[in-house]
Amino acid sequence: MQRRYKSNLTNAYDKAHDPATIKTRKKDFSPLYQSLYQSLYQYIRLSVMALALGAASTVPAMAAAVQMPALIQPANQEHHVGKVIFVELVTPDLVSAEHFYSGLFGWTFQATQDTNTTDGTVYAQAYKNGYPVAGLIQKSVPDNEHRQSAWLSFIAVKDVDATRAAAVQHGAKVLIEPRDVPIRGRQAVFADPQGAVFAVLASSSGDPVDVLAEPGEWIWSSLITRDPDAGAAFYQDLFNYEIFELPANPGKEHLIMASENYARASANSLPSAEPNRHSHWLNYVRVVDAVAMAAKVKELGGHVLVEPRVDRHGGKVAVVSDPSGAPFGLLEWTGDEMKEVTK
Amino acid sequence: MSNSPLRFSVLALTVVMAGALLSGCVATGYGYGSAGYGYSADYYEPYGGIYGEWGPGYEVGPYRDGGGRRGPPSGGHAYRSAPASHSMPSIPTGGRGHR
Repeated sequence: MQRRYKSNLTNAYDKAHDPATIKTRKKDFSPLYQSLYQSLYQYIRLSVMALALGAASTVPAMAAAVQMPALIQPANQEHHVGKVIFVELVTPDLVSAEHFYSGLFGWTFQATQDTNTTDGTVYAQAYKNGYPVAGLIQKSVPDNEHRQSAWLSFIAVKDVDATRAAAVQHGAKVLIEPRDVPIRGRQAVFADPQGAVFAVLASSSGDPVDVLAEPGEWIWSSLITRDPDAGAAFYQDLFNYEIFELPANPGKEHLIMASENYARASANSLPSAEPNRHSHWLNYVRVVDAVAMAAKVKELGGHVLVEPRVDRHGGKVAVVSDPSGAPFGLLEWTGDEMKEVTK
Repeated sequence: MSNSPLRFSVLALTVVMAGALLSGCVATGYGYGSAGYGYSADYYEPYGGIYGEWGPGYEVGPYRDGGGRRGPPSGGHAYRSAPASHSMPSIPTGGRGHR
C-alpha cells in the first residue's frame, strides 16, 4: 500500500513536471514566472539526481568499513569490569610497526577484510600464540598537528552508555561517543579529568579469561597521572575498583586498582623529572628478560625511554617506544608457571 | 544549453553536500577522529614531552608476595580505601589451560 502511494505520488509529480505539461501551461504564465518555474524545476530535478549520486558514492564506502574481529573467539560468557581487555595502536606506518612487533614479541598479523577504506586507514589484528593481543591502525598524522603514536587501553564495562554518564558526571571529556562496532561490541573513548585517554568496551564476544599473560602478551597497566589520588577515585567511580595503597615516598604514590580480587592496574604519580608530560595510561608486555628485550628494541629501530630497573614485584621494568614513538612497557614476571605445575 | 555551467555547479555542490551528510560526523580535538567508515577509536596522543628518569624508589609494578606490603589504609583520600581486612591482590596467575 505504501509503495502504491509513493508510486501514485511520483506519477503525479512527474506528470505535473512533465515538459509537455509545462509547455501547455506556458500560455497561462507570464515569461518571468515561466522562467522561474523552469529554473526551480531544473534545480529540484538535479538535486534529486545529485542526492542519488551522493548516496550511491557513499554506500559502497560504508560497505567497505573496517570489519573488526571479535575480541574472543570462540565467544565466552566472561565479563570482567575494570580489566584492561584490549589495546590498539595508531601508527602512520603499519608495515614498520608489524616488522617491529613481530621481531620483538613474535606477534603475527592478519589484516581485516576490506581494510582499504576511502581515507587510507588500514587495520590489522595482532596475535600471539593464536590469541588476539592488539589492534593496529594505520593512519597518517595530520600535517598541521604535532602528535605521537600511542597505545589506547580498552577497559571492560557492561554498559558503555551508563559508563559515559558516570564519566561525564565525574569530570571526563567524551572524545568519541558510544557507538556499536559490528562484531566487536559497543565502545567509547574518554579523557579523564586529568587528561589521560582511555576507552571502554562492552565486548560482544565476552572478555578474556583471567589467566597469567604469557611472554609477549600484555600483563599490566599503569595510570601515570598528576594526581593519583583523584585519578584512582575517578576510576573507582567508573569501575567500582578496590583501592590499595602501597608504601611509597612522597611524590611517588603507588596505588593498586583491583576488581574481582585481581590487581588490574596501578595509579602512579607523574615523575617529577617529566614535568611536561601529560597524564596517560601505559601498558606493559610480559617479558622474560627486560634487558635483552630493551636491547632488541633498539636493534629494531625503537628507543629505550626508561632503562630496565628492578620494580616492587622483584622483576625488572622498562619503558620503550616503537619506531613511530608509541611508548609501552616491558615487565618481567617469572615463576608462577612453575608453581602451577608443582601444585 | 546555456545553463550547463550552472547545472554542473549545482550538481557538484549537491553531491558534495549529500556525501558529507551521509558520511557521518568526525570528532575533533585530541587528535581523535573517524578511522574510515564504521570505526573510530584511532587517536594520536598530544605530544607531551619525553620520558625522563623515573628516579630511585619510583615503582609501577603489581604487588607480589615478598615484593612489597600493603600500606595502612588511611583516610583523607578522594577514593575509598579497600577495607583493612582485604589482602592486597596480585595479577591473575592461573595457567593457559584455564582459558
